[in-house]
Amino acid sequence: MRYICTCCGYIYDPAKGDDMNQIPPGVAFEDLPDSWVCPLCYADRDKFDPLD
Amino acid sequence: MKASVASLYQAVELHQEIPPLLLGERCNPNGSKAFREALLAEDWDACLKLALDQEARGAQVLDLCVAYAGRDEVADMVQLTTLFAGSCKAPLMFDSTSPDTLEQVLPLYPGRAIINSINLEDGGTNLDRICRLAKKYGAAVVALTISLEGMALTCEKKVEVAKQIYDLAVNKHGLRPQDLLFDLLTFTVGSGDESMRSAAIETLAAIRRVKEELPGVGFTLGVSNISFGLRPAARKVLNSVFLHEAVEAGLNTAIVDAAKVLPYAAISEEDRKICLDLLYNRDPEALMIFIDHFEQAVDNDDADDSDSLRMEELLHQKLLKGDKDGLEDLLSGLRGRWQPLDIINNLLVPAMREVGDLFGRGELLLPFVLQSAEVMKQSVALLEPYMEKLADEGRTSLLLATVAGDVHDIGKNLVDIILTNNGYKVHNLGIKVPAEEIIAKARELQVDVIGLSGLLVKSALLMKENLAQFQGVALQQPVLLGGAALTRKFVAQDCVPNYEQPVVYCADAFAGLKAMRDFEAGQLVATDWSDNAVVSNRPGPPTDVLDRSFVPPAVPFTGRRTVTDVDPEILFKYLNEAALFRGRWGYRRGKMAKEEYEKLNEQTVLPLFHRLKDQALNEGWLQPKVAYGYFDCSSSGNDLLIHSGEGDKLFSFPRQEHAPGLCIADYFRTREEGGDVAGFFVVTIGAALAEKTRELYESDSYHDYLMLHGLGVELTDALAEYWHERMRVEMGIQQGASDMAAYVAQGYQGSRFGFGYPSCPDLGAHLPLFELLRPEEIGVSLTESFEMVPEMTTSAIVAHHPQAKYFAV
Repeated sequence: MRYICTCCGYIYDPAKGDDMNQIPPGVAFEDLPDSWVCPLCYADRDKFDPLD
Repeated sequence: MKASVASLYQAVELHQEIPPLLLGERCNPNGSKAFREALLAEDWDACLKLALDQEARGAQVLDLCVAYAGRDEVADMVQLTTLFAGSCKAPLMFDSTSPDTLEQVLPLYPGRAIINSINLEDGGTNLDRICRLAKKYGAAVVALTISLEGMALTCEKKVEVAKQIYDLAVNKHGLRPQDLLFDLLTFTVGSGDESMRSAAIETLAAIRRVKEELPGVGFTLGVSNISFGLRPAARKVLNSVFLHEAVEAGLNTAIVDAAKVLPYAAISEEDRKICLDLLYNRDPEALMIFIDHFEQAVDNDDADDSDSLRMEELLHQKLLKGDKDGLEDLLSGLRGRWQPLDIINNLLVPAMREVGDLFGRGELLLPFVLQSAEVMKQSVALLEPYMEKLADEGRTSLLLATVAGDVHDIGKNLVDIILTNNGYKVHNLGIKVPAEEIIAKARELQVDVIGLSGLLVKSALLMKENLAQFQGVALQQPVLLGGAALTRKFVAQDCVPNYEQPVVYCADAFAGLKAMRDFEAGQLVATDWSDNAVVSNRPGPPTDVLDRSFVPPAVPFTGRRTVTDVDPEILFKYLNEAALFRGRWGYRRGKMAKEEYEKLNEQTVLPLFHRLKDQALNEGWLQPKVAYGYFDCSSSGNDLLIHSGEGDKLFSFPRQEHAPGLCIADYFRTREEGGDVAGFFVVTIGAALAEKTRELYESDSYHDYLMLHGLGVELTDALAEYWHERMRVEMGIQQGASDMAAYVAQGYQGSRFGFGYPSCPDLGAHLPLFELLRPEEIGVSLTESFEMVPEMTTSAIVAHHPQAKYFAV
């Protein structure tokens, strides 16, 4: 499931991962480390909404 | 966690902000003829209707009793519990002293019920069994002070039996004190029986003593027993006065028909005195005086009850739904029954609290909260002409200000809206307020709490300094801090040590509301931070080595230009809808199913968006203008030297202290490498929209205020996105307009770094920027703290280097 940042619109897609935060492809949103923040606007995870 | 009970749908606190919690008692064949007939006819729908009617009339918990001669208690209880559980919002109270019945029904109930009741009538056999059930199914329990010797009549006896029950329930069966609701029993003072003259005194004294000696337990009481044998209209007054006294003593729940209670304020001084004389046995003739006095009273219950009671529920619903239609008529009807102040305190404020609770649980979105606040505001305005003006004494007050040098007021105003409409007195000093003024006003107005707000990084630092100033003059008020640049860690480590009184981080307006409630409860504590807490990541491009060989693009001109004929409509093409709808507006999907969220979008969000879009375009609220330019430049360390016709301008950028140590200057070539080109822009949508939002705020149109403000902020960013695209096309590093979805994730060559944002937080860079671009020509100026005015303006340096992407220093 993809998640969208409600502050800036960034979409976390587990198929792509997030190289700005050194997250390889294949990591589910729920499994991101607690320290993870939006790579574009630094919002916390609780600012994300499910997209699909 | 406060002691609560729950139905399938909601939790209800046993200790309400405005006690007592009302327990509806009409679903009882021994007390209600209508219920008895429905039960005997097995007309289950009629039974349910009686339950729902009580809910509509204000009952917060529903007592359910089916014990009646000739009926099968277990079967009837199972039947009605199953039906009520799915249909009643109020939690149930199972009124049975039979462990067998309770054992059957407790596992069926999808919530936390109350068991009514246990006692020591049989020496404790049933109590043992019922307490085990309560422990197993997590129920709360009503405990009656009845022992082998019968019902406890005196204060001494009531306290003694309560302690025995407490010892068994808590120490033997492991229930928590908060799980117990003691019914210390009361008896009529209306019979003329000499031995019962002090019945009220004994009960009230016992509540006080048990509350003191068994901390944490709750209470309930069949209030109307006090007036048994008197005329209905007189009972209503006496019951209401007794209830008031019992709540004063510590009663937190009451078995009472909400319709049969008068607000204390609605009872005349004379009536009160006559009731109090009777209750406190102050005059041997008190009962005769009481009977004579109320001889003429007319019981008009049956005449007006159904209408006026529905009106109260209707007001509750209107506030929850944010519906203002017919509010004036409704309130004028309610004024016939309640004092204006009681409508506010007893109906509107608790409903607003419910709104806040729903928001906190993610069940109500911010725009709807604001619509509810509008109903609250308008109701108070409609009631004010009929009251002495909302008394400030007794209301907790807050002084609210955006700190010096900061012009942002949306966050502060949201706090004002939420607190004002939850019954607090807010003194809103506005924006750019220096510490000296805050100190003077805090003293002059003798406020209880001070709230500071500010969006900028600089504002966070200023709050820390302000606190030291507050300490210097020994202010005594706790201080609440809120703002985008603040973090819990910063407040705990940098702000709290500067001030003796509690300094509290508030993430949003509702955290501010919670802080005010904590303050009133004497529980407000300074924000703390544990070093074990998770430290947020610092994302950035995975840059190892910057490509230094990259040749700068050709620019169409060097120097500055202004553009004043941007078509406002084009901004909507570049609008970040997710950030607007979900972020600024608060229409988040949260726990909603995808289909449900799509429906919300179609029915509410998009129509709102199109309404505001049409208004903004048709009424000329958008006046997009641009000042921009390209300049030869060269970097040196953290500095970027800009060569312009009017001399060189220096921009010093901060560098990350952590790996990979990025700095904006790195994206430009040094003089030795051949120099480079840099773009800059300042874009604004003008002052008209900000003026419009101010009007909306001042006319208490909270919902549209937040919506239009959010739209303005995102349209400003859309203009920046649009102009950045234009500049990339002009530099030949992009062929033409592209896909907005890709832009959100910087899907283009280079980057734009906004001044005041994480890559270059220092707004001081606006000074050389303004010398280069002269944005005064498009109506943009700087404040003394280098913020741009109008508010809906943004600026950036444009880097073309392919490795340039957002990072935070």
